[in-house]
Amino acid sequence: MKKIALILFPAITILLMIWGYYQAIYVAPDDALQGYIFRIIYYHVPSASVAFLFFAISLIGSIGYLTYRRSSPARAQVADAWALAGAEVGVVFCTVVLTTGPIWGRRAWGIWWTWDARLTTTLVLWLIYVSYLLLRRFAAGPQMQTLAAVLGIFGALDVPIVYMSNRWWRTQHPAPVFGGDQDSGMKDPTMVHALLWNMLAWFCWGLLVLFLRYRVERKHQQYAEIEAEEALTSAN
Amino acid sequence: MDERNILDHQFVAAAYTITWVIQLAYLAWLGVKWRSEKRNAERKSRNLR
Repeated sequence: MKKIALILFPAITILLMIWGYYQAIYVAPDDALQGYIFRIIYYHVPSASVAFLFFAISLIGSIGYLTYRRSSPARAQVADAWALAGAEVGVVFCTVVLTTGPIWGRRAWGIWWTWDARLTTTLVLWLIYVSYLLLRRFAAGPQMQTLAAVLGIFGALDVPIVYMSNRWWRTQHPAPVFGGDQDSGMKDPTMVHALLWNMLAWFCWGLLVLFLRYRVERKHQQYAEIEAEEALTSAN
Repeated sequence: MDERNILDHQFVAAAYTITWVIQLAYLAWLGVKWRSEKRNAERKSRNLR
């Protein structure tokens, strides 16, 4: 059963990616104002949504690690692996957002970057999680995981600020696609369908990569455990 | 196709390509890391036995 799922899920994800691409390029119409360039939305918005979701997974993992680190070290390690996987894959998706956004901005606004609230808070979010990954990469010792968990929790606090930024402040960035006021969002159902298909496709892709990253981290923990055991044996 | 349309197509193609380059590069890095972790764990467990 597990083996079938391991083959079936990637296959469904690839089919969804192809279908999403077809919807974005060949089915959805050009935007009335922006024209063809608007199609960047079908990769930009799903990437942002998946990044937010994975930073939330990192938050839950970080809280889990801090909760269980004394009472149940085995559970704490599992939570820590999810926290790391969520943060790292979230950074990958956030990088996509921060590269596709300026490409779109260059054509739509005539500039690559502007320091408006949405763009700046997103960049700060990316920097926080990059520092989280650097901390995990270069710090050593038993305190590293605790410090990383605390940073992961503080980093996640920026997610609602990014999400609400174009509601709270006047920004050059467009109004929200979903959950905005009456004038914002997509009016054409074909565009909405194309966006939803791409969201589903990128969500499945993200889950696949997240699961892989989690497995790699669990392997790493297993290796570190064996190494610690070996050090103890040689010391005795 | 006018010049504006051509430029729009190029920018959309660039955005989609960069997205895939980032995602596939990360997946490849993950694959390399997975192999090295697996090899390390196997070597260590063999040594312990």
